[in-house]
Amino acid sequence: MPQILDEIEECVPALRRYARALTHNPDLADDLVQDCLERAIRKRALWRPSGSVRSWMFRILLNVYRNDLRRRRRAPDLPLDTLQTDPPSLDTQSGRLALAETAQAMQALPVEQREVLLLVAVEEMSYAEAAEVLAIPLGTLMSRLGRARATLRRMTETGAPRLRSVK
Amino acid sequence: MSRGKRKITEHDLHAYTDGALTGAAREAVEAELAIDPTAADEVEIWRRQNEALRALYGHVTDEPVPPRLSVQRADRELRASSWHWSRMAAAAVILLALGVAGGWFGRDLASTAPTEATLVAEAVEAHRVYAVEVRHPVEVWADERDHLQTWLSKRLDRTISVPDLRDYGLTLVGGRLLPASNGPAAQFMYEDETGRRVTLYITPSRSEGETAFRYARLERLDAFFWSDEGISCAMVGDLPRDRLREITARAYEQLV
Repeated sequence: MPQILDEIEECVPALRRYARALTHNPDLADDLVQDCLERAIRKRALWRPSGSVRSWMFRILLNVYRNDLRRRRRAPDLPLDTLQTDPPSLDTQSGRLALAETAQAMQALPVEQREVLLLVAVEEMSYAEAAEVLAIPLGTLMSRLGRARATLRRMTETGAPRLRSVK
Repeated sequence: MSRGKRKITEHDLHAYTDGALTGAAREAVEAELAIDPTAADEVEIWRRQNEALRALYGHVTDEPVPPRLSVQRADRELRASSWHWSRMAAAAVILLALGVAGGWFGRDLASTAPTEATLVAEAVEAHRVYAVEVRHPVEVWADERDHLQTWLSKRLDRTISVPDLRDYGLTLVGGRLLPASNGPAAQFMYEDETGRRVTLYITPSRSEGETAFRYARLERLDAFFWSDEGISCAMVGDLPRDRLREITARAYEQLV
């Protein structure tokens, strides 16, 4: 198998994770990844290896995801964000965190903020790579990240009055 | 929040949270957090958010990858079922060799010129319908570019030359004929290296004059639209506005 296909293959588990986190729907997430793989394989002859294969794959996945969102806005009866994620077991350290609450908040988070936060927090991309994937300037990335964290905090804070509010 | 007099920025706090700082930069933030409980609280909350998100989604990578997401299998299936990408690459070479067709306009039009609002709405609608298609985005693929150009020129009763936008990283996917409010319309579709698509929508118009480029944003899509002699056009895409404007200018130069 040519090297680029190997490199694409290595990205698949992370692409599935990102798609799952964006959609909260395992079947839909895998559909998006499948579309993404097909596009990447078709386009590989045109790809200029100026960046990493991973960044490129994530960019394609985001395009596929956004196209799908647009299609769904036209046909709103299609289910979106059906929470089918099995709640993972809580370890003791994060036990205090209401994971279900976080999951719910993530679904309510504006798409732009969700895209950024997941690349940074879950995919653990550098800010530079995340900005490249999203095709936005670093400053925009940082302001979206700040807003995402603030929004998530606000949405998960109700019922946790022990936290001081920060202006 | 205000970081006031200090040199630690919110960017630093995020970078610290995400483990992107080392050495002196990291120590500077730690010193700051020791004397600023508000900032320390915030960083702690962000850190817990990261932890919660990893706990929620991290397990996906431990799952076995379903067979339909096998790259080798997808590659095999695409080779068997589709030759478009290689044909399109060949067509791209042919595009280089072709010049821009000369101007040819004007016949009486039975139709009335569409209003600009209608033009943009129809162009955006057509983009939304077809740009998401993976297997059937166009009626005529780029490997039949000559036919595409002849056919659509005939149906629109205008000489339409398909713009070459490869300087801007966009390859032609193909085109199609569409029904518009006042007759036929043509749509050309382009794709960048990530599969992001831009469409150029053209309808015949009675207007002989040129207009400047105008800009509209509709349904999260950007559109630049203009009228030239005998045609009204709209370039639609989900691209940074400046880039879309450059692409539009390039298309405008080559059209008709």
